[in-house]
Amino acid sequence: MLTRQISLSAPIFLSIFIFQEAVVNQFKLPGGGFSLFGIFALVWAVISTPEIAALTGFGAGILMDMSHSAGGPVGQWTLIMIIVCYGVSYLGYGDGNINGNPIGVVFFVVVANLITGLLFLASSALLGVTTGSFGQILLTLLGNSLWTLVITPIVLPVFSFMHHLVFETRSVL
Amino acid sequence: MRYGGEGRTRLLLIILIVTALFLITLDLRGVAVLDGARQGTQTILSPFQKAGNFILSPVKNFVTDITHLGRTRNQIEKLRADNAKLKADLLNRKNADAQLKQLESILDLAGTAGYKVVNTRVISQGSSQSFSQTVTIDSGSNAGIKKNMTVLSQSGIAGVVKDVYPTSALVMLASDPAFKIGVRIAGTQQIGILSGRGSRSGALQLLDNLTTVKVGDVLLARGSVANRPFVPGVPVGYVTAVDNSAGEIAQTGTVRYYTNFGGLGVLAVVVAASSSNPGDALVPPKPVPTPIPTVTVYVTPSPSPTK
Repeated sequence: MLTRQISLSAPIFLSIFIFQEAVVNQFKLPGGGFSLFGIFALVWAVISTPEIAALTGFGAGILMDMSHSAGGPVGQWTLIMIIVCYGVSYLGYGDGNINGNPIGVVFFVVVANLITGLLFLASSALLGVTTGSFGQILLTLLGNSLWTLVITPIVLPVFSFMHHLVFETRSVL
Repeated sequence: MRYGGEGRTRLLLIILIVTALFLITLDLRGVAVLDGARQGTQTILSPFQKAGNFILSPVKNFVTDITHLGRTRNQIEKLRADNAKLKADLLNRKNADAQLKQLESILDLAGTAGYKVVNTRVISQGSSQSFSQTVTIDSGSNAGIKKNMTVLSQSGIAGVVKDVYPTSALVMLASDPAFKIGVRIAGTQQIGILSGRGSRSGALQLLDNLTTVKVGDVLLARGSVANRPFVPGVPVGYVTAVDNSAGEIAQTGTVRYYTNFGGLGVLAVVVAASSSNPGDALVPPKPVPTPIPTVTVYVTPSPSPTK
């Protein structure tokens, strides 16, 4: 069952990763823009079981690490995404108020996105990766969060539908 | 609801985290397999990025115009006038003309200094989620580009080649927080180090505590050993503010880069520098201020009303 789900999920993740690199990254948006792939991975994690969420974080993190613009060493995004994806899924699992309604999912994704940025900064400091001035970091974190807040409600029905097709365990948001 | 399979999930979580830590350790130790994996991914992604850039160029220009509306108002008005004349051809020509203009300026710059350059187009902006400032260009090692080569824009330095793939290369922009370049002030020849700040302004630190810098001073690249990563003489930016704090060992200042990192379309990679240092030959001419007409209004008091 799990093998079937992973084999169905993998092409979806790859497609969105390529879309992120080939299309979304073409635009220099104000406030640092957004990561569609990051939003997708977090939405997928929020509406999945913690086990699937951890695997989602691992897969998404590996792909993010493979991106040439990743910045840090290979494995940094993997570690962060495993922790964040598992965390949001564990906290929201079984709570209909969180992962059962779109507002809860959007809220969780925005907060998780912010935590992802903070974890990246913290791990970068440990690993010696330069991340810039405080003002620029604050602007990027704020900009990413606002963009995530705007984009997530738009893409949530599509991502939720894909999740439903793969797992067939819940109703479409 | 409590999640049932916690024991198995925790075991899986531990395995995944250990794997991630293992990957980080391998990468920090410089294991070539991981570099190869990143290169392979970029080689696969490169055609998609080129296709995306080709298809989305008109949309990108539109978005750039929207985000730089205040600064490009005059340009937009000019384009609107052209629009009436050129009608249907404009959408494609606008893109081509902008890139040609950038290319001409780059070739002028490179020609004056005697640099041998490879012209490239920007095919992707780096993700800002990693707090880095990078772009991907559509030429790589097949075109003679190597790591740590200087990258020029139409106005001056744009960055340095960080990674090279067969048909593309990753450029660290001069605005990247990790970017550092040795600079000298045109004319006075004082030297300092300029660091990126994540935006179009950089932080200048002079090396000598006896020298001074003033607003408007032009900074040029000082050059590196064997011209890598930086060839000498490339215009970098100009000083916009000077910090004269008593506690500082040497003067510091804020510098505005000549390059507009938000509108990079065409770049040139310097593959060979001239045998002689171009000196101050590349200092851009100072902009001629446009006279602003002043209007003087004379007010004559009206006679006091009489009862």
